[in-house]
Amino acid sequence: MALVLHTYKGNKGAFKALVAAEYAGVKIEEAADFQMGVTNKSPEFLKMNPIGKVPVLETPEGAIFESNAIARYVSRKNGENSLNGSSLIEYAQIEQWIDFSSLEIDANMLKWFAPRLGYAPFSAPAEEAAISALKRGLEALNTHLASNTYLVGHSVTLADIVTICNLNLGFATVMTKKFTSAFPHVERYFWTMVNQPNFKKVLGDAKQTDAVPPVPTKKAAAQPAKPKEEPKKAVQLLHLLIRE
Amino acid sequence: MALVLHTYKGNKGAFKALVAAEYAGVKIEEAADFQMGVTNKSPEFLKMNPIGKVPVLETPEGPIFESNAIARYVSRKNGENSLNGSSLIEYAQIEQWIDFSSLEIDANMLKWFAPRMGYAPFSAPAEEAAISALKRGLEALNTHLASNTYLVGHSVTLADIVTICNLNLGFATVMTKKFTSAFPHVERYFWTMVNQPNFKKVLGDAKQTDAVPPVPTKKAAAQPAKPKEEPKKAAPAAEAPKAAEEEEAPKPKAKNPLDLLPPSPMVLDDWKRLYSNTKSNFREVAIKGFWDMYDPEGYSLWFCDYKYNDENMVSFVTLNKVGGFLQRMDLARKYAFGKMLICGSEGPFKVKGLWIFRGPEIPKFIMDEVYDMELYEWTKVDISDEAQKERVSQMIEDAEPFEGEALLDAKCFK
Repeated sequence: MALVLHTYKGNKGAFKALVAAEYAGVKIEEAADFQMGVTNKSPEFLKMNPIGKVPVLETPEGAIFESNAIARYVSRKNGENSLNGSSLIEYAQIEQWIDFSSLEIDANMLKWFAPRLGYAPFSAPAEEAAISALKRGLEALNTHLASNTYLVGHSVTLADIVTICNLNLGFATVMTKKFTSAFPHVERYFWTMVNQPNFKKVLGDAKQTDAVPPVPTKKAAAQPAKPKEEPKKAVQLLHLLIRE
Repeated sequence: MALVLHTYKGNKGAFKALVAAEYAGVKIEEAADFQMGVTNKSPEFLKMNPIGKVPVLETPEGPIFESNAIARYVSRKNGENSLNGSSLIEYAQIEQWIDFSSLEIDANMLKWFAPRMGYAPFSAPAEEAAISALKRGLEALNTHLASNTYLVGHSVTLADIVTICNLNLGFATVMTKKFTSAFPHVERYFWTMVNQPNFKKVLGDAKQTDAVPPVPTKKAAAQPAKPKEEPKKAAPAAEAPKAAEEEEAPKPKAKNPLDLLPPSPMVLDDWKRLYSNTKSNFREVAIKGFWDMYDPEGYSLWFCDYKYNDENMVSFVTLNKVGGFLQRMDLARKYAFGKMLICGSEGPFKVKGLWIFRGPEIPKFIMDEVYDMELYEWTKVDISDEAQKERVSQMIEDAEPFEGEALLDAKCFK
């Protein structure tokens, strides 16, 4: 039985596993006929992931959810490689950057993006705090990348894969050139990495947005409902956000 | 060289590493003389962690930050053990629960807790969304624990250590018995685990809070500083953590510079009395009286306009927002009078204000202490312009319609 990845197309979480698979030489099938909002609410799916979010990786031994965990599994599936470092300290520092990019970069970028797309209640002070926290994270990342080509060691590791997939969503949605120009080493890192063949194969041509999405008005703002599972627009870009 | 953990006492992130160390038989020293807000701002510390947060583990081979990463390192330091599972799938599922408990439980619990403690801006809709997301996560965890004693396999793994440390902070601060009773398997799991010797040694006696901390008022709400990486525990823990990553300087009881201005013939309290006591002929008595007593040398008049009116779609939310602003202005009561008009018969409502402040400028201490000030555009009133004077008068008397619109409400700060 192959490894089957359940996800909608364009899911940033899924990209992490797919890029890791390219580096680790692991074959992953994407589940056919996956319908966001339908498939992931079925009893069979909820047995795999009780919270009903995507991506989920089905393996012969069992199911795994949480995109970083899936990427870790995939990176180790074919035994030793350079994705997880060559010593305990390198491994730990890879993990530190994986968590850092999820908690300090991705989480704050989503707090900026999601309300503007109507997936969460919009609040100007909260957005200001999120952008401030995001800048703080990018500053730290920028400092580290001033003297490091890769996050850990001298080649691509899982830390780079996770971080670049997170940054890719940020660049595509809310982080304009004007915003990222304050972090030139992050920019250098980003554009170099997304042009590596294994990244390009999965992410396609990475783009940077020209503008921040506007603050939602009326209906969108009046309904700070649960984050939507299906974007209203048919624009592929919106698929990049939704996790569930 | 030992492993040295840099942290303040009581840091939930540090607990994860310390419990893992108990299970893995690893010796960790806690850095002596660590001062939150001081030590972690030093150049030496920033070399270890450029974002300056805690905990950080110093090892002979290099430093590690991010509490989950530190715990992973510690769990593997002494080679094989049961903390990381006995197969690739078990390892992956341990990782899935570590991430789940950080992103679905801890992150949402912090979004509930931090604003109530004044560490982040408070917003009722955002809190509602966070609690809803937290419940969703706990539901899923509850479902899994209905048929599993441990998160993965048949013994404690790193997933349990991280999850229990996260839950421990939640139980201690915002999740009352009433709240957690909806997740009985999570409760069973929590109390069983925190009573295991290796957990008890590090966490001490776990407690569940009786009540949710109240919504902040005044000073606490006025400083939605950068999010702290560790919220204070509401429970009086013996080693109460210094929650802020920045030390907040104690507020100096210095003399207010406005008290040092040359005396003015206008007494603000007299105006406030006139405003409050005038029940009829408001324009002829109160407004006239205002302009008679107004001293443009000792005071200044300001218009303010909310910058984000397009978000004011829900009437009571908008009114609450303005109400919150006026609560936070309490520290300026001696030196200010204001009228806030909420205009429009439907959303988006426009919030327009009129303020009189002691002194020729908006007082700096108000700009510093009241975060709402930045959310408004401020324009000094030119009283030689009759149109502007008239606008001031209309705002004081709650003229309706105001600038062509009905008033949803007019709030007075006096």
